[in-house]
Amino acid sequence: MGKAIIKVKDLTKSYGESTVVKSINFEVEKGEIFGILGPNGAGKTTTLEMLETMRDIDGGSAKLDGLDIASEQDKVKALIGVQPQSPSFEEKTKLHEIIDFLASCYGERVNAKELLDSVQLSEKINEYPENLSGGQRQRFSIATALVHGPKVFFLDEPTTGLDPQARRNLWDLIEQVRDKGITVVMTTHYMDEAELLCDRVAIMDEGEIIALDTPKKLIKDLLNRGFKKKQHVEQANLEDVFIDLTGKALRE
Amino acid sequence: MQKFKRALLPVWVFVPIDVKRLFRDKVAIFFVFVFPLIFLLIFGSIFSGDNNVSFRLALFNNSDSEIAQSLQAEMEQSEFFNIDEEVTNEEQAREKMSRGQLDATVVLPEDFGHVSDGSAIPSGDIQILYDQSNETSGQTLASVLDSIMQEINAEFVQVEKPFRVTSESTATEGLSQFDYTFSGILGFTLLSLGIFGPTTVFPRLKQRGVMRRYKVTSLKIWQFFTGNVLSNAFIGLISLVLMFTAAVLMFDLNMRGSYINLSIIVILGTILMFGIGLAVGGWAKNENQAAPIAQLITLPMMFLSGVFFPVFLMPELLQNITRFIPLTPIIDSIRLVITENASLIDLGPELGIIIGWTIVVYFIAFKIFSWE
Repeated sequence: MGKAIIKVKDLTKSYGESTVVKSINFEVEKGEIFGILGPNGAGKTTTLEMLETMRDIDGGSAKLDGLDIASEQDKVKALIGVQPQSPSFEEKTKLHEIIDFLASCYGERVNAKELLDSVQLSEKINEYPENLSGGQRQRFSIATALVHGPKVFFLDEPTTGLDPQARRNLWDLIEQVRDKGITVVMTTHYMDEAELLCDRVAIMDEGEIIALDTPKKLIKDLLNRGFKKKQHVEQANLEDVFIDLTGKALRE
Repeated sequence: MQKFKRALLPVWVFVPIDVKRLFRDKVAIFFVFVFPLIFLLIFGSIFSGDNNVSFRLALFNNSDSEIAQSLQAEMEQSEFFNIDEEVTNEEQAREKMSRGQLDATVVLPEDFGHVSDGSAIPSGDIQILYDQSNETSGQTLASVLDSIMQEINAEFVQVEKPFRVTSESTATEGLSQFDYTFSGILGFTLLSLGIFGPTTVFPRLKQRGVMRRYKVTSLKIWQFFTGNVLSNAFIGLISLVLMFTAAVLMFDLNMRGSYINLSIIVILGTILMFGIGLAVGGWAKNENQAAPIAQLITLPMMFLSGVFFPVFLMPELLQNITRFIPLTPIIDSIRLVITENASLIDLGPELGIIIGWTIVVYFIAFKIFSWE
């Protein structure tokens, strides 16, 4: 593990009377996939949005690559790519036009075909986004978030609502992004996803981080505390059957 | 310089994409290009045509006199009278009049045009029947027929007429009512293009989270505004060319001024109207918020700026207010260019108000804009 690229200290967010993020502290290492887990309303998305410059920071501080996120928003924006919860694009706009425009927002020109190729969508270059399937739209959204070659990539529940094949395909894609040296910070509801994909996870509940470590270490700690699963663990589950029968390969 | 070019990149990339996007959307094409043309067609046909008032009449000629026959023939040929041939009796005529399908009924009695006992010349009374609800038409018709009778009387009885009324239109030579109306129609188009577009599109994009995505990029609000303003000014110009062509071909629009001056005014007008739409649509979180505000702004402009009726018909106090409403100087300067070949210098005061409003409107739009 390298040095920290994100440093969060006593980060706090309140809406009126209720404090939704309560003075949390954590660091994200350069080049890792960092997961933020937790039930609905735990403060995952709010935390992510403060790091993305989307929400004002009410208390504490957050630094990204040495830049203060609250006061150096413009510089931070140039270093991050953001995948929103349900990606949506302007209609009647071809994929390459969307990419050209988003790249131009950073003052850059890119090769749209190459970028679409990296998410297996090069043959859709002249399609409109409203004609893409859910999984294709997620992949396209990832491509658009990476137009300017960011250092940190934020994803908010990227696989919610996708079928098993599309989920697995997206996991591969997120790993590829990490392998390019881009740090990934993502939220998710799915424990299997976090266990498989994330190098480290923070578990949030009611605005606080209640655990932070590698998935393996968290499981080991639990077992060391004497935890035993009540049920007998099956060697395979229905999802394994489904994947085995339909193949892992992506279905469009 | 390099930095400046880089800052303008999103603008240059955005404008052609935004224009193409419009041409791919059938609904948008309808509202931007077809709807104004329909509007032009409807208002154009109401206000073109030079005073061709005509009366829908039922005519009962009960007389066999020569005068009665020739009067009937003349009325049937006249464009002024539109005689309903289907009506055969007074009962039917009354019914049609009560339904507003006929303006009046003209009856030439049996003795009309015959020489009565003890007289040397023919005489007669024309009867005009009209419904109570249609009194104006009845009375106008009476005076029209009366003047026709005066002419006939003059044939039989030679009288000197020392006093006469002559009337003459003072409108500048060659200008029709339509030439005046057209500037109002153009103004209305600029208003609806500029305001209804952004107040529906931006809140919709916000609700779908499209604008949110722009917020996390390095895109600046001024870059987004500039791109949108340029693409809309371009689209406004295309719409103007279409309407102008239609107006010249179908309604013989008499253009006396310079097309360059007109284009400059249309571009400035589009920018101002779009700024108002941008302020409302940029502020509103959703369409429910934007729609009533858009109506609240457009309705007074429509009725007070001379789109539908001339400003000089309003009370003086209202006229003074009207002059400073954003749409009024736009319509006034379009009208002055078309009908009087006004130069940009002549239009100084109007352009001053337009530019003043533009600065105010964009300042507000910039302050209250939100991406979400």
